[in-house]
Amino acid sequence: MKTHSFLSVAVLFLLLSTFSCTNSSLTDIPDEVVGLAPVYAADGDWDDISSKGPRAIQQLNKIYYKDSIIFVGEANQGVHIVDNHDPANPERIGFIALPGNSDIAIKGDVLYANNLTDLVAIDISNLDEVTVLSRVSDAFPNASQEVPANYIGYFECPDPELGSVIGWVETTLKKPQCWQE
Amino acid sequence: MKPITPLLVSLALFVGLFGCADSDSAAPSSSTGVGGSLARFTILGDFLYTVDNTRLVTFDISDPLAPEQVSAINVTLGVETIFPLKDHLLLGTQRGMFIYRVGPDGQPSYVSSYQHVVSCDPVVANDTFAYVTLRVSECRDAGVGAANTLDVIDIRNIESPQLVNQLPMDGPYGLGLDGELLFVCLGVNGLQVFTLEDPNSPAELQRFEDINAVDVIPLGGTLLVVGPEALLQLDYSDMDDIKVISEMSIGS
Repeated sequence: MKTHSFLSVAVLFLLLSTFSCTNSSLTDIPDEVVGLAPVYAADGDWDDISSKGPRAIQQLNKIYYKDSIIFVGEANQGVHIVDNHDPANPERIGFIALPGNSDIAIKGDVLYANNLTDLVAIDISNLDEVTVLSRVSDAFPNASQEVPANYIGYFECPDPELGSVIGWVETTLKKPQCWQE
Repeated sequence: MKPITPLLVSLALFVGLFGCADSDSAAPSSSTGVGGSLARFTILGDFLYTVDNTRLVTFDISDPLAPEQVSAINVTLGVETIFPLKDHLLLGTQRGMFIYRVGPDGQPSYVSSYQHVVSCDPVVANDTFAYVTLRVSECRDAGVGAANTLDVIDIRNIESPQLVNQLPMDGPYGLGLDGELLFVCLGVNGLQVFTLEDPNSPAELQRFEDINAVDVIPLGGTLLVVGPEALLQLDYSDMDDIKVISEMSIGS
């Protein structure tokens, strides 16, 4: 598996174009694509899962619906709770902080989610005070190196200024500059 | 105005048969919710199924205090979505739709696949047909000859899925199915609504050009629509008068 960053390719391309007359691009970076983004240790306690007050939706990920509640994924950060008993007037009533989350599913009062590389089961019977019931460590091993392990595709280049990378989370990337093939 | 009753009846059947959706009526506490077509987690009975880049992973969740990974199957490269259909799992991958059957022990086993040139493709299905969108635009690794299409695949013989129709589309993303209605997200190109009176050949009923739609969840009359700009809800209880009833904007 080869890891690339746009910079190294650009340098290579410059060198190549200096010495040859080729002008074909090495790769087409898409404007928008699903890929992985780094999560940094400095982002706080990545395994701290708790209920918070409602907040604005910044970057909508996926949604999940159950019992007139819409669970709205906030990329990398958690899940907004939207009361949808009146679909004409949905209301944000809370937020579950769930670092590095990309996907959820619910059975009964238990929400299953990825918390970075771990699978967690969360009791949501009281949305104002959710509690973690259990955790399966490294259930999603896609997510624990400086570059994503065993992964082929685009990812956001880690920024060393932001600290060490503790995981990777799936998100929508704009013009990603790093990829593996 | 067309009668809506058959739609509701078929929806009720859908809910009853698949147990993956619920309504406002009191649902048993063991019921599961419903995700969009881009979902990568789904629950069937006592098992949680997840897909990552290459794998289908099964967790036994009969005891939420001690979930346990029971298997991990390598499917193919670029596994993107998972859709539950009774005791089957339909995986949308960059190489096509892969079908697994879930045994009484919860373990999935490979049944069949419908493969195509590399593109991006979520899938939804009912008992007889699977609807798959194939997207080339902004899809990594899209292959030569790939196109933006909506593929209709006959799955009455689930051992041998057959392509029966292919419609050109404008860069489709997620999609949703409710009875005779099929909703297809077109990203910045809008949201397209099809009628499936002839399930072989979806016919456009309406197109919302100004909705930036990435995925949908149909809820028996209300459609949840997500995109980068807003979470919208559309009332489609009257299929001849589908309209936006609320909008929760993003970034506000």
